[in-house]
Amino acid sequence: MLEEEVEEKRVFKIPVGPQHPALKEFENFTFTVDGEKVIDVDFRIGYTHRGIEKLAESKTYIQNLYLCERICGICSGAHQGCYAQTVEELAGITAPPRGVYIRTLIWELERIHSHLLWLGVAAHEIGFDTLFMLIWRDREIVMDLLEMISGNRVNYAMNTIGGVRRDISDELKHKILKGLDILEERTKYYKEVCMKEQTILARAANVGILSKEKTLKLNAVGPTARASGVDVDIRRDDPYGAYDEVPFEVIVYDTCDVLARILVRVDETIQSILMSRWILENLPSGEIRTKFTRKIAENEVLGRVEAPRGELLYYIKSNGTDKPERLKVRTPTLANLLPVAEMLKGGYIADIPIVLAGIDPCFACMDRALFIDENSEKTWVWDKEQLRIYSIKWYKEHGKEVVRERWKQ
Amino acid sequence: MPVPGTLEKELLNHISKKPATEMYPFVKVEVPEGYRGKIEFNIEKCIGCGLCSRECPAGAIEMVEDERTKLKKRPKFIYSRCLYCAQCEESCPREAIKLTQEFELADYDKERMVIDV
Amino acid sequence: METIELLILILKFVLFPGALFCIAYGWFLEWFDRKLYARFQNRIGPLLTGPKGVLQPFADFIKLLAKEDITPAGADKFGFTVTPLLTLVVSLFTLLFIPIASLSGILSLSGDLLLVLFISTVFGLLIMFAGYFSGNRFSIVGTERTGLQFVAYEIPFALSVISVALATRSLEIVNIVTYQVNTLKLPLIVIVPVAFIIYLISSLAKLEKIPFDVPEAETEIVAGWQVEYSGKKLAFFRLATDLKMVFVSGLAVALFLGGPYGPSIPGLEPVFYTIWFIIKTLVVMFILSNLRSLFARYRIDQVVRGFWKYLIPFAVLQILAVQLLIFLGVI
Repeated sequence: MLEEEVEEKRVFKIPVGPQHPALKEFENFTFTVDGEKVIDVDFRIGYTHRGIEKLAESKTYIQNLYLCERICGICSGAHQGCYAQTVEELAGITAPPRGVYIRTLIWELERIHSHLLWLGVAAHEIGFDTLFMLIWRDREIVMDLLEMISGNRVNYAMNTIGGVRRDISDELKHKILKGLDILEERTKYYKEVCMKEQTILARAANVGILSKEKTLKLNAVGPTARASGVDVDIRRDDPYGAYDEVPFEVIVYDTCDVLARILVRVDETIQSILMSRWILENLPSGEIRTKFTRKIAENEVLGRVEAPRGELLYYIKSNGTDKPERLKVRTPTLANLLPVAEMLKGGYIADIPIVLAGIDPCFACMDRALFIDENSEKTWVWDKEQLRIYSIKWYKEHGKEVVRERWKQ
Repeated sequence: MPVPGTLEKELLNHISKKPATEMYPFVKVEVPEGYRGKIEFNIEKCIGCGLCSRECPAGAIEMVEDERTKLKKRPKFIYSRCLYCAQCEESCPREAIKLTQEFELADYDKERMVIDV
Repeated sequence: METIELLILILKFVLFPGALFCIAYGWFLEWFDRKLYARFQNRIGPLLTGPKGVLQPFADFIKLLAKEDITPAGADKFGFTVTPLLTLVVSLFTLLFIPIASLSGILSLSGDLLLVLFISTVFGLLIMFAGYFSGNRFSIVGTERTGLQFVAYEIPFALSVISVALATRSLEIVNIVTYQVNTLKLPLIVIVPVAFIIYLISSLAKLEKIPFDVPEAETEIVAGWQVEYSGKKLAFFRLATDLKMVFVSGLAVALFLGGPYGPSIPGLEPVFYTIWFIIKTLVVMFILSNLRSLFARYRIDQVVRGFWKYLIPFAVLQILAVQLLIFLGVI
């Protein structure tokens, strides 16, 4: 098969994924290459689909808190915070100011953690293993801080509906401030390395170009859009949490390449450190949570949050019981997937890993079920009504034993 | 001005520094005070209300018959399913459940990973 | 030749300083390289196999020999099986000419500098064949890149060696070493430092280490030309790479640092010369490991462009400088 393709034209197809060292999670990208140049890219998603939206319909609002934070490991605080905030809006309750400030602190500390993780992974993709090891060593500082605050290094479970669950004492505040000082010094050093090191500039400058018009047309979000000159940030445009009081800057670069994405994220990390410091020094006193009734009246709310990767949307619909009727999540990587296909065309094979890593992909968050007909290579997506009809038909054929087995308790 | 080799000074410093690797499991790791580890259950304080079992997101708590509590029921914790979210600790009205700092919980047999006081 | 002499020659080939010593030394150099790379990154490196992890490369070799050996269906069976063996044989053969325990190698002919350069070129060709015979798309991309990098580094490597040969007016390695020891009384690095730097950079490309490990880029094409090899064949490839490290650093020591010469007790020459050889090659490996952990990986077009635009002019200038010094009668 390979010989025929090579004889026919000089192009052939290279599959990247589902298993590949360049990807940290599973998706399939098939590149048509000619020598070292990439001509076309085609992708297929659905490898890590877990059926979370359906599962959320059979659990109560409190149980869904812990389900939603496990949609993603790196942005788990953003998912849980957005869910809690949306359900609070649904039920019509407001969290007290101290709770809102602590929730915002967790969001910002998680942004630091996520961007440092990404920076190490991007260094590894271009072969710079030394920088990868050093950055991940310094990321341990912020992981230890989060462990001291919340009890766990990932999946913090700090939010509840009505506020937060744990308070921050004064000695904990001193420890966090000390850790933030070390982090700020190290992040500034890494920014200097990224701007001056010639090997990084050779691999990242003028690579993966996405012009401003294409960004707006294909709806890229988050740091990917801010690196192409599009000035959009949910924290400033549609303030939620404590962001209408915390002072911060929105970082925008306009060189549209991978280097701009690196610099946007490093600068955002420094901004997050400054924001966390401000929040800690200006924590209002008072309660950290309010009461929450189990049943919520009929309502529907769309909530959004600036996760480390971009704009995260949650749509929740309630129907009077203590379980939601519909929960829909749209993660930022799903919006950035078409722009990345655009960026990869016309580049080299050597640029594939760094461009793919440049949008900070979190495929586990974004997955959707995709139907593929093996014989005709046709792919299609079903909407809710077609899925419902198909599932009723399937359960009729396979009987009630499957249902009984699964819900044994 | 881009120069190659900006990390050189840092690298030469590292030769004389202690490595940043933690030598676990030869050296014990200290976890902070609020760490969410294995569940510890105090049967004396339990009244058998069943709130923990209702709130658990993972289905790790089952109510079984027992004479010692007021409502004649008590929880059985299956900690191989536990998420360590501490929702049971929060929901318990009598503070009978606490999460300790123990985290080395791997086992060969799933049947043994149960707290059945 | 007398039978005793023949027997001694065979023992030299096999035991010391021949095959077994070089293989053990190759494993020692790999351990040194990995440990230094880890220490630069504030990690520990190999620790538990043997004292301080010295036996780790040996343990890796034994483990690979015990693994399953799969030949893919689309591979050319004869070429796929023979290439690792040939690579190992070629690397061992080049080591016969490097002076380790005395001022000359086990074998020494006139013109053996060129012979050694040619055989190391054959090594590069064998790597291209290894990727080509695998029948896998990733190996084909790896082979393309090896070929391109080959074009880039061979010329500066040869030019830097030629400037040494010009300065000492000989193409025989034993003559170059004796020139440094007896006539010049200084290592040649003092006369031709630029050639030494160019030699080191080209040898990074030859050994396929970062920043020039494009043919084997792990995150892009999984393992390049090595991707289909497993079990015994992969063990031989890795051993051949280690022996190439010994060869490259041994040649650097012979050409630029005065060979294994150093203060010694007369009569116990082989022992002391070996010790000086080990010390000097460890110095060269320290520099190579330092360079390895300092950079990111270049793209293949940047490698070729960089070598042709920057290294070759400097090498030519170095040759002209050597000619000038000869003309002025300094050397």
